[in-house]
Amino acid sequence: MSDISATMDFRRRDARDKLRGRTRYTMDRYLPGMLHAAVLRANVASGRIVRLDTSRAACMPGVRAIITAADAPGKIGIGIADHPLFARDVIRYDGEPLAAIAADTLTQAQAALAAIDVEIAPLPAVLTMAESLAAAAPLVHPDWPNYEVLFEGGAREGNVAWEATVVRGDVDAAFARPDVEIVESNFRVGRQNHVAFEPRAVVATYEDGRFHIETSTQVPWTIRNATARILGVAPSRVRVTVPPVGGAFGLKFDLAIEPFAALLARASGQPVRLVNSREEEMLTCLFRENADIRIRSAVTRAGEIVGREAVVLMDCGAYGGEQIFLTTMTAHTLGGNYRLGTTRLVSRAVYTNTAPNGAFRCCNGVYCTFALERHTDEIAARIGMDPLAFRRHNVLGDGDLGATGQVFEGNVLGPMLDRMDTLREAAAPSRKLADGRLFGRATTVGTWFVFVGPSAATINMNADGTATLVTSGVEIGSGSMMQSLPQIVAGTLGLNPDDVVVRAADTDAAGYDAGVGGGRTTVSLGAASLSAAQEVRTKLLKVASEMIEAAPEDLVMRQGRIEIAGAPGSGHAIAEVATRAQARFGPVSGTGAFTGAGVPAMPGCVAGHFIDAIDIPVFAVHDCDVAVDPETGQVEVLNYRVVQDVGRALNPRAIHGQIQGGVVQGLGYALHEEVTIGTNGRVCQNGFETYRLPLALDVVPVEISLYEGAPSVGPLGTKGAGEVPILNVGATVACAVANATGKRVQELPLTPPRVLELLLARNGELGHPHIAEAWVDNLVRPHGTAAQDRK
Amino acid sequence: MVLTLTVNGDHRASVADPVTPLVDVLREEFHLTGAKPVCREGFCGACMVLVNDKPTPSCLMPVALAQGSDIRTVEGLGSGGTLTAIQAALEACDAVQCGMCFPGMVVTLTHLLATSPEATRDEIRAALSGNICRCTGYERIVDATLSALAVK
Ligand code: FES
Ligand code: FES
Repeated sequence: MSDISATMDFRRRDARDKLRGRTRYTMDRYLPGMLHAAVLRANVASGRIVRLDTSRAACMPGVRAIITAADAPGKIGIGIADHPLFARDVIRYDGEPLAAIAADTLTQAQAALAAIDVEIAPLPAVLTMAESLAAAAPLVHPDWPNYEVLFEGGAREGNVAWEATVVRGDVDAAFARPDVEIVESNFRVGRQNHVAFEPRAVVATYEDGRFHIETSTQVPWTIRNATARILGVAPSRVRVTVPPVGGAFGLKFDLAIEPFAALLARASGQPVRLVNSREEEMLTCLFRENADIRIRSAVTRAGEIVGREAVVLMDCGAYGGEQIFLTTMTAHTLGGNYRLGTTRLVSRAVYTNTAPNGAFRCCNGVYCTFALERHTDEIAARIGMDPLAFRRHNVLGDGDLGATGQVFEGNVLGPMLDRMDTLREAAAPSRKLADGRLFGRATTVGTWFVFVGPSAATINMNADGTATLVTSGVEIGSGSMMQSLPQIVAGTLGLNPDDVVVRAADTDAAGYDAGVGGGRTTVSLGAASLSAAQEVRTKLLKVASEMIEAAPEDLVMRQGRIEIAGAPGSGHAIAEVATRAQARFGPVSGTGAFTGAGVPAMPGCVAGHFIDAIDIPVFAVHDCDVAVDPETGQVEVLNYRVVQDVGRALNPRAIHGQIQGGVVQGLGYALHEEVTIGTNGRVCQNGFETYRLPLALDVVPVEISLYEGAPSVGPLGTKGAGEVPILNVGATVACAVANATGKRVQELPLTPPRVLELLLARNGELGHPHIAEAWVDNLVRPHGTAAQDRK
Repeated sequence: MVLTLTVNGDHRASVADPVTPLVDVLREEFHLTGAKPVCREGFCGACMVLVNDKPTPSCLMPVALAQGSDIRTVEGLGSGGTLTAIQAALEACDAVQCGMCFPGMVVTLTHLLATSPEATRDEIRAALSGNICRCTGYERIVDATLSALAVK
């Protein structure tokens, strides 16, 4: 039996070296003979490459290798293979790579870039989704019908890269009922930059016909497979290892600059380091996508939601990437909070001639929750019901259906709302502010999920009584790899967590893993590690039972010993048992594998979805008080409270740290952080001067209550805790500001100028002319007809 | 031209172009990678070093200007593998996440501990306004600083 409780709240082992500046992140690594690489990027949003001549650059001092599109034949993507490594003939966004150079020094590489002769004929660009969806808009991918489809089922056409739909029940009938109010809301959100402190960085070598890529990533296996695809080699020719990662937040959940370094290493025969500049990171970071949303609900005056429809437009930029997958999430983030009689949703990933977007902590969820919660307040106002009472009445409980017909288990959100009442009452700040600022408060709910997916773990028991845990997991800063996993292994084997060695990710050494993200580390890697540890335990107990002459069932593993239960001091040290086992049977090891079972949707309910329903829902309730200065539009968050469903809290200290950090990142999204695209198609915020991150003076301590006991298939009842904290921050601040000002908040972030415009009613109501009035007119093809029109 | 620098008490020679930012010389020539060039604009503080005991963003200082000064990087704080008071407090409070901002945080807070023994929460926050952290939400860092001040 595991005794994880004995090892809880264990401190992280990687803090000391990080505090002393000794940790070598990828960007800090040096190899003898290492070259430095730089990438030439396009400076138009749309164009045709007339000439790209590298002969002059090749003669520049120090230059060892130059690569262009000719060196990288493949295309990658999620769902659709639409993305080449370098622009080939056509340029689709400002910043798109054209060529890469490796030279003895970075200065030489940069000088050589400037010597590449490029001639580009500009083409008309579509920079917004409204432009992209207009009739006769130029196509970002004129060749879209010929692209290889990697996942069947999404509808596509023209600038619609992917379309996913949900239809459950007769929504038209619900909207036609005489006893309903129809509430319609429109929302718009901009892009957010991850600003991971370590930029994307890679060091590559090529030896014995294989590539070795050391990179700052969350997904070593994805890098291995996608690099191989781009390079046109077998995946087994690529080995990926990962040093400590200096922040990621989803930014490093996709292939980035790794193939450049790999190709340059092969071409030059020397190790190559490539580190993105901050400007490259600011301009091409795979932002959280901008989105346009319309939601309509039919609600009875008693507060029943009998019908809901939504159109969500997600800007994927020039290539589909993760947005295609994320169209799936809308169903669960818009449709997983409240009981809905009937519903239909369409999410469309839309191509534009802008830098591609990607995954970012609670991807899709933050703005869908913002939209949903503001819409919920608008419903409550319309039917004259207290917004909290409306939520309490409608949140999903045991046996209720999600948007895709999934049956939810357990009453979680209801009790969490009760828990929040207690927290809020204890805080009880004054409702009137003495300084003339406007006071507002709001409580919101949110549903997120754990992206389960496959993971593998091996544990090698060492004769000295320690255990080595081998996985493809990466420590990105959350502590999952350095705290949670060793706790699980140590608890199972009766060791001190410090005696569990955590092997850095290496695709040559550990089995496949879907990556560190989506809150899945503790769940998937944790489950695989737990089962590997159980195998080791069984083997050790068998040997110990012979040594102690007691049945294995009567033995316990604790504090580095195997003893007869109830007889402390009996038995042997684990090291002795491991040594004996090794001598008699060979070294002891165990392996474990895990993947989510996959929850089915109701038949016929979904089309184009990568995940039909969610394996492990995770719920959150947030609450805050704000003060709005009517003169300046400045919003101050006075205090902030979180009740988060964690299943079981393996390491409360680590989870608290994640919640504080996630809420502050959410406050950035809600109040400061805004990426805009200029009329030239270029991102306007190219550094920290123009992109405003939360500072120590901007934040408040978050009051936190961890809600344990909700059902979870995670090991020991855990759920992922690092992703969720950002989920409803934008929603909560927006609802509080709406309450303070009495105005309709439809956009984030709530920067002072935007709040002033709201207060002065300057901008009028937000509309979406590019979203058709009738829901069905927004579809490329009718829901459920996917099968027929595929060849 | 050869420049001479005093880094963590050692005299070191650099062949860098005099306008090279100090952070690049520290990292590329001396392989002291503690200071991180995160923004290169003087906003984030991840490259902070002590120049004559004053926290200074090493991304904004041309190496020529650093000649004749006493430069201390995070690697030069504490001795023989022991943590300084602020490092120990940050470890004890579990403040560290990805860790990229911490070399700079430690440098700034080392100076704060030396010069403002009475600092309040708000003063600590203000002192940190030149050090951005994307991961932690700052609270643990402020808590740790208060506890380090209390120990002193
Ligand atoms: S890198 Fe020097 S302040 Fe940011
Ligand atoms: S711990 Fe990651 S930036 Fe501060």
